[in-house]
Amino acid sequence: MTTTTPIAAPAQAPEERRTTGSHAGRSKSELLSLYLAISPFYILFAIFGLFPIGFSLYLSFQNWNGIGAMKFVGLAQYQFMLSDPIFWKSIVNTFQIWFISTIPMLFFALVIAFMLNQQIRGRSAYRIAYFIPNVTSIVAIAIIFGSIFSNNFGLLNAALEGLHLDTVEWLNTPWGIKVAIAAMVIWRWTGYNAIIYLAGLQAIPTELYEAAKVDGASLWQVFFRITVPLLRPIILFTVITSTIGGMQLFTEPQVLVGNGGGPGSEGTTMVLYLYQQAFINNQFGYGAAIGWGLFVIMILFSLINWRLVQGAGNRGSRKGVRA
Amino acid sequence: MAPNRRTFLAAASGLLGTALLGTSGCGTRGSYLTPEGTLSLWYWNRSISDTLLAKTPKATGVKLVPQKIGGDFKSKFLTSLAGKAYIPDIVGLNEDVATYFPDADQFVDLNEIGAKDVKSEFLDWKWERGVTPDGRMVGFPMDTGPTALFYRADLFEKAGLPSEPDEVAQAMSTWEKYLEAGSTLVKKLPKTYMMPNVDMVFNQALAQQGKRYMDEKNHFIGNGPQVRQPWDLAVDAYRRRITSNTNDWTSDWNAAMSTGRVASFVGAVWMGQVLTDAASGTSGKWRVCRAPGGAGNSGGSFLGIPKSCRNPEAAFKVIRYLQSPENQVVYGLNEMQLYPSAISSLEDRRAQVKDKFYGGQVINEVFATSAKAVKPVYLSPYDNVIGPAFSDQVTNIWSAGKNPDRAWKDALAEADRQLSHLGLI
Repeated sequence: MTTTTPIAAPAQAPEERRTTGSHAGRSKSELLSLYLAISPFYILFAIFGLFPIGFSLYLSFQNWNGIGAMKFVGLAQYQFMLSDPIFWKSIVNTFQIWFISTIPMLFFALVIAFMLNQQIRGRSAYRIAYFIPNVTSIVAIAIIFGSIFSNNFGLLNAALEGLHLDTVEWLNTPWGIKVAIAAMVIWRWTGYNAIIYLAGLQAIPTELYEAAKVDGASLWQVFFRITVPLLRPIILFTVITSTIGGMQLFTEPQVLVGNGGGPGSEGTTMVLYLYQQAFINNQFGYGAAIGWGLFVIMILFSLINWRLVQGAGNRGSRKGVRA
Repeated sequence: MAPNRRTFLAAASGLLGTALLGTSGCGTRGSYLTPEGTLSLWYWNRSISDTLLAKTPKATGVKLVPQKIGGDFKSKFLTSLAGKAYIPDIVGLNEDVATYFPDADQFVDLNEIGAKDVKSEFLDWKWERGVTPDGRMVGFPMDTGPTALFYRADLFEKAGLPSEPDEVAQAMSTWEKYLEAGSTLVKKLPKTYMMPNVDMVFNQALAQQGKRYMDEKNHFIGNGPQVRQPWDLAVDAYRRRITSNTNDWTSDWNAAMSTGRVASFVGAVWMGQVLTDAASGTSGKWRVCRAPGGAGNSGGSFLGIPKSCRNPEAAFKVIRYLQSPENQVVYGLNEMQLYPSAISSLEDRRAQVKDKFYGGQVINEVFATSAKAVKPVYLSPYDNVIGPAFSDQVTNIWSAGKNPDRAWKDALAEADRQLSHLGLI
C-alpha cells in the first residue's frame, strides 16, 4: 500500500536477471519484483472492487444515513426488501424493458449486418453511421427521446394526430414509459450489435455462399440456412451482453423520467431503485441490501442463460454446424 | 471496524487524491484539498455569484478558495463526510437541510459563533428551517423560494376572467375559487388548460401549510388536514379536467408555456427564470399575483460549517459577508435571480425593477409580500422518504385513474411501512 516500494524494486531487477537463468531457482527478490510488476491491478482491484463489495455486504446489515453512526439491524433490510412492492416492481419493469428492447434490437442488428455484408457501395460509411448512436451522449439522447415521446407536443403524437389517430400520453402510461425507454436502448445498441454480427459474418467461409448460389438458393434461404446457424455463437454472445446491459439499465430511465421512475414508478429499473434509495433517500443500508438482492437475481438469470448456451452449443455440435 | 474503515478510506482517498491532483504541500493536515491557512467553500453552479466570491478574500481578509462542485453535490459531500477526508470548510446545503439534523453534531452550531446577533435581519421562517428542534443552528439562510400565481393576462381576459393582478388575486384568493376559474377557462377556451399538472396543486398547496408530515418530536402527522386538504384539492383539479398533464422539467412543459396551452401555474420565484427561458415569445403577456391559498415557499438553500472546519470564526465571517442584505440584492437577486432571505433586501429600492416580460409589472412586490407571509413549518429529516408515498399516489390518480380513496389508503400504508423501516414507529 505504500508508494515507496515500487520505486525501489526496478533498481534491483536488472542485477537479478543477470545471475539467474533457470525457471526453478528464482530468488525471493526476483519473485517480489514480479509480483510488484503485476500488483497495480490487484491494488486497484482491492481498493475499488473487492473493498466496496465486502463493505456493501457489511452495510446491508446496517441502518446508515451516510453521516452518523451505523446501527446493526441484522436481516431487517432484507426482510423489508422482500415486502417492498416497488422492489418487485422494479424487477418486473427491468425484465419487461429488457424483453421489449432486446428482441427487436438483435433482430434489426442481424438484418443490418447481413445487408452490410453484401457488396454495396460505401460500406464503411454505413458501418460508421450505424455505430454513431453508441458513442452519442446518453443524456442528449434522452432529451431528444423526451421530445419525441412528449405527452402534448411530442413528434410521435403529432404524427399520430396527422394520421387522425388517438394520441398517447407516452410518458404517463405504464407501457408508454417502457416503450420510450426501450426505444432509446434499441436506437443506441442496434448498430453496436450489428458491427459484432458483421465481424461474425465475415468469418463465415465465402465458399458456403458460393456453393449456395450455385445450388440456386434464394437470399432468404441463404440467410436462414447458412448465416443464422453459423452465427449462433455470436448471437448467444450478444444475447448475454445485452442481458448484462439490460439488467444494468439506469441512465436512460433516470434522464427520461427522473429518479422516481415517473408516474407509478413504471420506469423504475432495479439499478435506478438502488440509486434512489441510497443516494436520494440516504438509506445506504437498504441500498446495499437491494444491491445484493440484484446479485442473487442476476446469478439466477445467468444460470438460465448458461443452460441455454450449453444446450444450444450441444445441439450445434450434434448437427455438426459448429466448425 | 469503524475506525479501521475510516482510516482506510482516508488513506485510500488520500493516495488517490495525491496521485490525481499532485497536491504536494499538504503538510500535517493532509485531509484538506486547499493549503493550510485557507478555507475551502463548496457551492454548486448558480448558487453564489462568482463575482462576489472573487471579491470575498479582500473584503473579509480570509483566504477563501471557492470550489464549484458539479454533478451530484450531496453525494459528494456525504462521501467526504463518511470518509472523513477533504471535507469543505464551508458547504452549501440545499432545501433538504433537515436531513442533516440527526447528525447536527457534525456541524458547527452557528449560533455559538455569532449567528444569533444577526437573526433579526432575516426572515424568521427561513431562519428556523436551518435550526434543529433542540436549537442547534446547522444552516445559515441563503436564497428562498416564495411562491405566487403566474398567469397569462391575455388568456384570462379571453376567457372572461379578471386579468389585472390585484383583481385576479382577489377573485382567486382560495384554491377552490382558482379551480372554479379553471373550469370556466377550459369551457371558454377549449385546448387551453388552467394549469400544467395535478401534482402542482398538491405540492404548492402543501407548501403553504404550517405543518407537514412530522411534528418536532418526529411523530407522524401526515394523516392530518394539512396533507388531506392539498390532496382533496388535487383530486378536485383532476376531476375538473383543467390540467394538461404536462410534467415539470420537460420540453413538453416549455412547449406548453410558449404556445399558450397552459394559462397559469403556481410556482416559486425561480420558476420565473425557467418561464422566461422557455417562453420568450410570450413576453409581455404574463403577470404575477398572490397565489391562491396564501403564501408558500418552495426551494431555497443554506450555508453550513462542518465540524472539521479549520477556522469556524473566519468561515462565519465569509458566510456573513456572502449573505449580507446588501450582497443578497446586488449579487444574489440582481445578478443571479436568487431571491433574498434578508428582510431589508426585499424592500431594497434596487429590487423594485419593472419587468418587460410581465408587461412592466414590478413582480418583486408580489414575491416580497409572499416571502414575509410564509408560515414557519417544521421540515423533518424524513420528509424526503415519506413525501413520495403521498405524491406518488397523487400521480397515480391522474395518470392511471386510480380511485382517490384507495390511493389515500395506499399512501398511508406506504408511509407506515417507511416509518417502521426507519425505526420511527
